Amino acid sequence: NWARTKNLWLASGSLFPLSCIHTSTSLQKIGKIGKWEKKNRIVYPPQLPGEPRRPAEIYHCRREIKYSNDKMWYLAKLIKGMSIDQALAQLEFSDKKGAKVIREVLLEAQEMAVRNHNVEFKSNLHIAESQTGRGRYVKRLRCHGKGMFGMMKINRCHYFVKLVEGPPPPPEPPKTGFDQAKEYVQQLRNRTLVHTL
Amino acid sequence: MQCRDRLRALAFPESSGRAQGSAGPCGVMAVLVLVRSPLPRLRALLQHCWGRLERGLRPSVFGDQSPPWGPALAMQGPALVPQGIKDAEAPGPLESVVWMAAPKHRRTIEVNRCRRRNPSKLIEIKRNIDVCPECGNLKQKHVLCGYCYAKVKEETQLIRMEIHKKEGGPLNAPTVETVVLYEGEKPTEKDEGKRIIERARKRPSWFVQN
Repeated sequence: NWARTKNLWLASGSLFPLSCIHTSTSLQKIGKIGKWEKKNRIVYPPQLPGEPRRPAEIYHCRREIKYSNDKMWYLAKLIKGMSIDQALAQLEFSDKKGAKVIREVLLEAQEMAVRNHNVEFKSNLHIAESQTGRGRYVKRLRCHGKGMFGMMKINRCHYFVKLVEGPPPPPEPPKTGFDQAKEYVQQLRNRTLVHTL
Repeated sequence: MQCRDRLRALAFPESSGRAQGSAGPCGVMAVLVLVRSPLPRLRALLQHCWGRLERGLRPSVFGDQSPPWGPALAMQGPALVPQGIKDAEAPGPLESVVWMAAPKHRRTIEVNRCRRRNPSKLIEIKRNIDVCPECGNLKQKHVLCGYCYAKVKEETQLIRMEIHKKEGGPLNAPTVETVVLYEGEKPTEKDEGKRIIERARKRPSWFVQN
């Protein structure tokens, strides 16, 4: 299609702009759009006047990061539930390779939130979900001494983050022994006879 | 009849009679051979053969003598001439290594998760992050502010380039002190004998002049 339009251009000097339609597909890379990227496209119906305001949700991810999934998980677990400023501070002074990548992703997501998702204050965001996924692995030869070799895996991972407007939720208080005892007693009380009158 | 007797005696050792044989070093098979036949000539023959067998089991060194092999009664049965049966194989060169530890069972994913997600293995949150009073960026309490350090580093690089231009080559450093002067500054009395490096910009606020 692109070749045909080029020939048309060469043949005639001036052409009407509508006559040579660019028939090729979009210039972006043809790839499958992942589920996480599609989550930003959902549009809710307008809220009724009495309803409480729905907090803005921003989904962002980065694919095929050259880092191990297991190692990235520790960083994702670190920033889960923090406010975005605290998360950026922790990642800035972390020595891990993935920390730099996640910091870039968070800054991009913050920028997107302010620009596209109608977030008023860029600090008023917290990390609701932060997950990692396994990317595509590649097997390669690893040469040892004495002519021996082994197969190694080149690990890649994805990183997913969901920012939600508002202050971070307070952390859950740790379960005390008293609570556990209460639950146990409640379980005992819930016991009943099955398949009887 | 006599041969049958002989063979029976050899094949089925009995408790009657004299025990002439002894269980050799490889005494799995009963090598008790009892002479039952009354013929003295045969008995002598058998004794001779048995002596030869015993000598064969305990090999003796034949220095001057020639080995006393001669025509012998052919006996059947691997039990009579046991050869090559060892008690236990001596450990070869490969087996002299100490037994190495190896995992016996596969670690399940639950067990693996318990180990990998143990709180001791998680990253601790840092509580020593502050705000730099000069530039407002974040800094660790015991470390210089990264932004301010980069600023100073850049200016130092430019001063070094000026010095390089003045010196013209390596190993030309003078033996006097150096003073850096910015735009609109004049050398004071204290900077009498010092080398002066000029920088074509306004003095930065953090570079305090003596």
